[in-house]
Amino acid sequence: MVPTPESLTIALGAIPNSGKTTLFNRLTGASQSTGNWPGVSVEKKSGSFVLGEYSITLIDLPGTYALSPATKEEQVVHDYFLQSPPDIILNVVDARNLYRGLGLTLQLALSGLPMVVCVNMIDEARRQGVVPDVKVLSQHLGVPVIEISAKTGEGIPELRAALYEVIKHPGKTRPPHMSCPPLIEKAFVELAENITRAEIASRLDPTFLAMRLLEDDRPQQWLQNDQVTTIARRLRQQLEQTLKTSMPVACADCRFNAARGLTLEAMHRQPVPEDPLSKTLDRIFLHRWVGLPIFFLLMLLLFQGVYGLGTPLQELLASVFDLAGSWLAQIKPVTALPVWLQSFLLEGLWQGMAVVTSFIPLIALFFIFMSLIEDSGYMARAAFLMDRLMHCLGLDGKAFISILLGYGCNVPAVMGTRILSSNYSRVMTMLLIPFTLCTARLQIFIFLTAIFFSPAAAPWIIFLLYGFSFFAVISMGLVLKLFNIGGRPEPFIMEIPPYRLPLVRSVGFRAWHELKDFLSRAATFIMVGVMLVWFLIHMPIDAQPASDASWAGHLGQAFAPVFEPLGIGWQETVALIFGFIAKEIVIGGLAVIYGGTDPALLTGHISALQAMSFMLFCLLYTPCVATIAAIWAESRSIKITAISLGSGLVFAWITSFVFYQAALFLGFH
Amino acid sequence: MSQQIPVSALQAQCECIIRSLGSDEKTAHRLAQMGILPGNHLRIIRIAPLGGTIEVVVGQGQNFALRQEEVAAMLCDVVAMPLVSELVIAGQNYRIRTLLGGKTFRRRMEKQGLQEGDLVQVNNTGEKPFPVHLVESGEDVELGEGEAKKIIVEVTAGGPHS
Ligand SMILES: Nc1nc2c(ncn2[C@@H]2O[C@H](COP(=O)(O)OP(=O)(O)O)[C@@H](O)[C@H]2O)c(=O)[nH]1
Ligand SMILES: [Mg+2]
Repeated sequence: MVPTPESLTIALGAIPNSGKTTLFNRLTGASQSTGNWPGVSVEKKSGSFVLGEYSITLIDLPGTYALSPATKEEQVVHDYFLQSPPDIILNVVDARNLYRGLGLTLQLALSGLPMVVCVNMIDEARRQGVVPDVKVLSQHLGVPVIEISAKTGEGIPELRAALYEVIKHPGKTRPPHMSCPPLIEKAFVELAENITRAEIASRLDPTFLAMRLLEDDRPQQWLQNDQVTTIARRLRQQLEQTLKTSMPVACADCRFNAARGLTLEAMHRQPVPEDPLSKTLDRIFLHRWVGLPIFFLLMLLLFQGVYGLGTPLQELLASVFDLAGSWLAQIKPVTALPVWLQSFLLEGLWQGMAVVTSFIPLIALFFIFMSLIEDSGYMARAAFLMDRLMHCLGLDGKAFISILLGYGCNVPAVMGTRILSSNYSRVMTMLLIPFTLCTARLQIFIFLTAIFFSPAAAPWIIFLLYGFSFFAVISMGLVLKLFNIGGRPEPFIMEIPPYRLPLVRSVGFRAWHELKDFLSRAATFIMVGVMLVWFLIHMPIDAQPASDASWAGHLGQAFAPVFEPLGIGWQETVALIFGFIAKEIVIGGLAVIYGGTDPALLTGHISALQAMSFMLFCLLYTPCVATIAAIWAESRSIKITAISLGSGLVFAWITSFVFYQAALFLGFH
Repeated sequence: MSQQIPVSALQAQCECIIRSLGSDEKTAHRLAQMGILPGNHLRIIRIAPLGGTIEVVVGQGQNFALRQEEVAAMLCDVVAMPLVSELVIAGQNYRIRTLLGGKTFRRRMEKQGLQEGDLVQVNNTGEKPFPVHLVESGEDVELGEGEAKKIIVEVTAGGPHS
């Protein structure tokens, strides 16, 4: 069975909120890496640790309720088990929520793979005086069951010992017994016999395969044996007709009946008391009148926490980079270089690094605050409170927070979509975030409104732009939903976990890994983007940068017919190219293009109406290369990245066109 | 008798036993996987401030957030509800399960002759003040709507809903 190579794979599977991530951090420490499962925006985390003479790769599977796939996450876990079963399964259940956790445990135990079960949160259970009897569990499940607390570290040595023991002496596991209605049992047996006869090479138990086949809508996708899949389909049809329920529901029923019995026995029939703290807190946080005000207050705190603290840090870093840049520009080895190379190093490479670095404080703070909200259990409450509002877009309440944070900076907001509960929400939300009015865009607007409008009118223009941004998010959401981008919305059924004190360790880990991830996944993309823009602006060598002779100038002129109906001249088009690096530099870019140092001279070149059209375009078109990089890193999909780029440009063009032409028609200039 | 509870009757403190998860297969599948199955008790804890979404507790333990339509699509046996509810049928016996609200409220209700465990009937629903018939003493009392909302009654054995 288990070979004896030095390296083994252990898969960590559990239902959400059972403390899986906390245990993962405990076991693997800092040796983690993140990626995506192939083809979907579902995060794949793996880490490694050493167990005696073995080096173990631990795979953190997405939190799922069952192996019969109802969501993208479940599909991922399902495919993983059927196509590349791990050497060992490590399953976690919450001691206070045994019944629900055991549904998955039973399914996993039936696979026939070696397995260890941890009963987590034992500290909490002990405090409440409801400790499950692990001996009973172990006896019924036929696998070792260990009491642990991922939070305090209690039981971890025992867990490691149990894993080691399972590797050393795999033995034959004894799948647990689960009594189902006789008709279903018979079908399992019949199908399992067929599977055995067909000699399908798999480490998985034939009965387990039979169950998967009967619950699966498209078994032919993972089992290349037409004979068996045909029998499975026939059996399923017969059963569903006789039982008048769908197979997944009937099987869940058997499973949870067994889980209920097992829970009663393991708890010695003692009921788990309600969590009094959660009950009291929910009376306040979910209160009919005060619930929403508290929510908005917390959001304000969150926003201020991330951006109020992050923006000054960002500016500090920027000025450090500026200073270092101007110092570099003077030192001997640099000044000896040709001018174009100096410019490339300082304005291309150095600038790129500055852009990447500027996101570090925001991302760190963003994930620190998000983990606090998520680990404490408040995220589920926020989702509940805001669900109605987001429902029209097929999103749930959690997406509200992501989009809201986009109003600070799109980059961490897009990265934060990975906490959303379904693939649909993640894709939709990351496509909507770019339409929020981030602070970088705000800088452009503040500047332009100040020079083109009276001090009394300027705030109103900004206010209108905010309003328009809300409108853009909602209308774009409706359009994207219409075209089924990101699939169909999933039914919203969310477990509301008890409130818990977040672990500093977990929060720190999260922020650190997200940062590492950003640097490894998005940073290159950003650097490349910034350097590309440098080339456009500075090439050919002999041309004045950003002038009509530069590539950017050529590009701007080539696109002039496209932008002319928007009232945007080729010079502003070049500024929009600048804006691709980061919106902050659009203003500086305009100054360079018009060859002056004082951007206020702009009033001599364009009218207020044109400025307004330009601002609308800035609001809607591609936020910046870093956002695109983040969308690409999150979705790992060229299609989604392209949709984001395309939808922004098209929406921006249409809006500016309609606005400008309508204004001209009405007689404004 | 199993029924679908209309959206308008989904109020806090309504409790029912799920008989079928509804006709949408995807939703049923997902509910089943989370351990929400026919035979489970489902009690509504609260409605979200903006409406549309409700929090329920299923079985003995876990709380879930669901959308109204999903609960309304289920077939249920109603077990308990506030006295002011369109699920209450006029002229049928109900047993008072709980009096929500503080000591003063309980004392006030006791003075009217209402206690937990008592059998009551509602005669003309929709009337204000709210007329309640006490089955055991044969008296009739009138309650304010706010008071009646705090009285949770349960269906009696052999009653209209069973
Ligand atoms: N008391 C206690 N809390 C825990 C334990 N393990 C995890 N938690 C907390 O439970 C919450 C959810 O944990 P997490 O690891 O994110 O769960 P996941 O959804 O399964 O990944 C967090 O607030 C953790 O701090 C434990 O052993 N004891
Ligand atoms: Mg987790």
